[in-house]
Amino acid sequence: MEQSRALLEQQGVRLAAVSYDSQDTLHAFAEKYGIGFPLLSDRGSAVIRRFGIFNSNIAPGLRAHGVPHPVEYLVAPDGTVVRKYFVPNYQHRVTGSAVALREFGAVGNGVPALTLQSTAVTVVVGLASATGFAGQEVGFFARFEVEPGWHVYGSSVAAPYTPTAVTFDDPKVVNQSFQLPPAELVRLAALDETLPVHSGSFQGIGSILLKFPLDAGPITLAGRVRFQPCSETVCEPPEMLPFELTLTLEPFMVAPHR
Amino acid sequence: MPPSDSVPEDLAEKAAVMKEFGRLRAAGEPVPHDLYIRHVNATNDRYATGPEPGERIPEFVLPDHNGQQRNLAGLCGPNGLFLVFHRSADW
Repeated sequence: MEQSRALLEQQGVRLAAVSYDSQDTLHAFAEKYGIGFPLLSDRGSAVIRRFGIFNSNIAPGLRAHGVPHPVEYLVAPDGTVVRKYFVPNYQHRVTGSAVALREFGAVGNGVPALTLQSTAVTVVVGLASATGFAGQEVGFFARFEVEPGWHVYGSSVAAPYTPTAVTFDDPKVVNQSFQLPPAELVRLAALDETLPVHSGSFQGIGSILLKFPLDAGPITLAGRVRFQPCSETVCEPPEMLPFELTLTLEPFMVAPHR
Repeated sequence: MPPSDSVPEDLAEKAAVMKEFGRLRAAGEPVPHDLYIRHVNATNDRYATGPEPGERIPEFVLPDHNGQQRNLAGLCGPNGLFLVFHRSADW
């Protein structure tokens, strides 16, 4: 979270975290890890209960009794929820950088990215963050530049046309999603058909859920960008451009249960 | 307040799974996939996620790690607040 804080603050969004820890515990934690945003102490879990997210699966007597279901809310200044993030596996969290990318299209500097080239199309594919944790949801983007006079097909197009897609085919990725902006419906005279297409510059945004557990250290994430470049008169064969992006996994700390 | 030995049966069962998971993790031992799934299911059973998009979050005032009392107005940036609920900073 601390790493993504600058990116979110650039978008005018501040950060705060709530847990059932005492102020002293939170103060020590903030000092130790250089946390620059407020850690709120909800001793006794009253606010956790008021939000309706108290985890009632954990028996009294266990250290974790009192914890919330780990929900994250993007809240507007008027107090309304803009978006809610929850992955039903407490080890999996959404990164702040994934939120910045999804909500504001914002990417920090120095993120892992690659440029891929083919006939009439250049794609820059990259991750929202250079670091992450096992079990986290990490954002990614794919920026397309299609030369004038050419287009690629939207994701909803049916066979025999090739939809544009970015997929990670890597066992370390357990779930993924990717969305392009709305395609234009264009009448393609040469085919005598009206089809969804993208042209010019556009960006798709997605996220991947990393497997848990994974060892700390650098990992490569393999994927492919698929599209079919077509001009007014001719279609090139469908392209399948492979890529590998490197992410550094930070070590996780898990404490003993009583 | 019920005595501690009258914890509902399904809570006791969940606690046993959670304790075994925690014991293996703390010892640095591999967790069998089956136990991991049971732990996750026990932890997430009947999960609730609170207010929906469009709904207001509850009012709150909580002290931060420096002892300062904070509420939404004081925490928010011009475009909002990303409010994260998590298990613990202690572990």
